Amino acid sequence: MTRDANVWLRLMLIAFVANGIGPFGLKILSERGLASQYQAQYLLYWYLGGFMFAMAALWRSGLRPYRREVGLGALMGGCSLLGQSFTGLALSHGMPGHVVFPITTGGSLFLVAAAGLLLFKEKVGAYGMAGMILGIAALVGLSLG
Amino acid sequence: MATGQIYMLLGLLSFSMLGVLHKVADVQHSRPTTINGLLASSSLLFVFAFVMLGPPGGLAVPGSVAGVAIPFGVSASIAILAFQAGVKHGNIATSWLAINLSAGIPTVASILIYDEPVGTGKALALALIPISMFLLWKDKKAQESASGTGAS
Repeated sequence: MTRDANVWLRLMLIAFVANGIGPFGLKILSERGLASQYQAQYLLYWYLGGFMFAMAALWRSGLRPYRREVGLGALMGGCSLLGQSFTGLALSHGMPGHVVFPITTGGSLFLVAAAGLLLFKEKVGAYGMAGMILGIAALVGLSLG
Repeated sequence: MATGQIYMLLGLLSFSMLGVLHKVADVQHSRPTTINGLLASSSLLFVFAFVMLGPPGGLAVPGSVAGVAIPFGVSASIAILAFQAGVKHGNIATSWLAINLSAGIPTVASILIYDEPVGTGKALALALIPISMFLLWKDKKAQESASGTGAS
């Protein structure tokens, strides 16, 4: 298939902006003093919003899921939720945020990059390596505040 | 090892596994729209079960909670769809970084909207994000040039 750097950049910028906006609702909730009381319910409606969009996109595409996609999608949903839950549990068991966030974010970047390079034999050049090092440094810096 | 550390490592492994599965989905030629739909369905199902079976509270929330949650959830779903489509055109090693760099957006929004203080370290980290994105794109362009066609 065609791999186009400009298409990649366009889609990644959409993902970048949309993924960045996604968690900000929790900040709004927190500023309104509702976060501690309704966190689980907030997450439910947050996922409901995602589900509504995903179903609309699926309906519009007219596609039907293959069986292998069902297993994979369920596994990905489970990983997403477990990641958030375990991070929350680590924080509630006394782990400070300045330790938890750099390790979960920076560590996951390192492991996924390692999997890409070693398991999937992806090639990353000098620019890419420099970008990855700066990116990981930026995320660790943000987590440390 | 303390319980909190174990949870932290499990969180790290869960997020890492999610990144790897995005690549597996691409390798298996799964369609981004169906993957997004199934991911959203399963996540909703798991959270619904947690809310119903977990601590008391139920589904009832003030309208403002649902009103905030739903549009931001839509945004996250758009992100997953665009990301899964984008992985077809790039490496998971760099794409996963690109989407994770979005952590800078809520930080900037908090500074602009809620006047949160921004220290030197945070300002430097935010400045590194566009540089990193540029370098990742430059790497893709260099790979295209090396292959000679813009396709691989």
